[in-house]
Amino acid sequence: MALATNAERLVEMAVLGYVSQPTVRGYIPHANGESMILPGMSGFIYNARVGDAAFGWAADHLEPGASIAHPDLDADYAMHYLTCMGNSARLMSGLAAGAEGIVTGEHARLLVDFPPDVADLINVGDAVQIRAIGQGLQLADYPHVTLKKCSPNLIESLPIEALDERRIRVPVTMELPVRIMGSGAELNPDFVDQDLMSGDRALMAELGIDQMRLGDLVVINHADHRYGRGYKPGAVTIGLCIHGDSVMTGHGPGILTLMTCAEPCIEWTIDPGANIANYLNIREAS
Amino acid sequence: MSAKTNASQVVSVSVQGVVTPPRMPPLPAMPYSLAADGNPFLLPAYGSIVYNVSVGDSAYGWLADCVHPGVSVKMEEATGNRGLNVLSCVGNTAIVMTGNAQRARGTVTGKTGRFSEHVIIDFDQDAREQLAIGDKIVIKAKGVGLSFDEHPDVMLKACSPELVEALEATTNDEGKLAVPAVAAVPPHLLGAGAGLFSDGGSIHIQTADGDAVKEAGLDGLRLGDVVALTDYDSSWNHGYLRNAVGIGVIAQGDSPRAGYGPGITLIMTSQSGNIAPMIAPGVNLKDLLL
Repeated sequence: MALATNAERLVEMAVLGYVSQPTVRGYIPHANGESMILPGMSGFIYNARVGDAAFGWAADHLEPGASIAHPDLDADYAMHYLTCMGNSARLMSGLAAGAEGIVTGEHARLLVDFPPDVADLINVGDAVQIRAIGQGLQLADYPHVTLKKCSPNLIESLPIEALDERRIRVPVTMELPVRIMGSGAELNPDFVDQDLMSGDRALMAELGIDQMRLGDLVVINHADHRYGRGYKPGAVTIGLCIHGDSVMTGHGPGILTLMTCAEPCIEWTIDPGANIANYLNIREAS
Repeated sequence: MSAKTNASQVVSVSVQGVVTPPRMPPLPAMPYSLAADGNPFLLPAYGSIVYNVSVGDSAYGWLADCVHPGVSVKMEEATGNRGLNVLSCVGNTAIVMTGNAQRARGTVTGKTGRFSEHVIIDFDQDAREQLAIGDKIVIKAKGVGLSFDEHPDVMLKACSPELVEALEATTNDEGKLAVPAVAAVPPHLLGAGAGLFSDGGSIHIQTADGDAVKEAGLDGLRLGDVVALTDYDSSWNHGYLRNAVGIGVIAQGDSPRAGYGPGITLIMTSQSGNIAPMIAPGVNLKDLLL
């Protein structure tokens, strides 16, 4: 049975963005000194979805699905802060108007998964409206666990176990050492993600981190993401892999904060199936 | 004698900055920042002329968020500021060109990163009293392109030839470049700045856990101290890599925010670990340059 929440008190509000045109950074220096031009950020990605590998693409910061943004900065920030993972989205214009999608990430833009059968109908500039709900969500019996960008839909779908009065247990695919948490440390933890640093390729293979998939739930032990993203012994953070790997030093797959606790009150079990594609039936539905 | 460099081939170029005002977000945003424990705080942050904090003073204990000792300059136009921030090197001479402090000379002691992108300059107290926000300062930038003749696997960043000389970095018995530093920062205590550009900007020690800071021997740091970065590669951006070693200077003071603390301006990095930090007290820009 799902843990009790205050979901019935939350407000559901529309936010809107537009399918973006891809951006290119120009030459990106590899850690090994080579430089290359790679696709990745923004646009609509036809052949990578939540559930696919986070490593191994010839891409940089690969954003699965449709990346949407609003040209008015204030409206764009509101979309960033109000949208939660698992929120439903709908195309409001264009050839695929009416098609339903689901929010699977927040990076420089919001990332929305749409079923493959509408992919050919999506145009750059099409309007996508999100039913934003989740800011303010709390676990009723575990107020010391902070939720971030979790929709009620996502929380209800996760098999979270209540262990005792203080502790819960969450399935994750893997644990990330806090010393490899990189770019994004300078941002507030309610805005976008923090990249794991994949530059030590041997370490990625040793720890199996290179097996990560887009949409995986992961745990970072000793990371406190309540009011920043920092090192704190005993704190625990549960994150979601929202974008793919990077060749840039200090970058790698993006980990978006879903849950964080300053005390060791979030336990975890390793489950290779701990991916939102499974919990939210994202790929089955299409 | 210091390890030899190509200093004679390095170009010295003029870059200009303007003494920058402190800034706050516009209404309706609140002026508060959040401390690591979630408490809102309102304190002076970066920029401006700071009268009573200087290189050589403690990096801790000030009621401020990443305070810049001395004088901070910036150019409002973004590409011009990029030139200022990248080309200025620690140890370069700065000259006041306008205002009451005209002709006063100072020394670059650090650079800061995302959200501020300032160059920090030490001026003596007389000059600080005469300076005004908006005064134009020219820096005789020199150091980009600098390299060691016999250590091609050590990259220099934001490091003037004068600072290299003063550090008296030498080749040790193992063939590594031996560089003095007051302490070594372990990778789990490096926070904001990871993944960002290493030719300008900053990488911050994170200090929310006081015990970990003490355990690493970082609780006595002073502004201007030279420190080593352990298992961190800063060849193009800052990031974790086992065996890589960096050297930097403490350019900014401590911060109450999570992921933040004293800001480091990187001056050397070796991806292959060919820098051997020699840990000793008192390695500070105040004695090396000022």
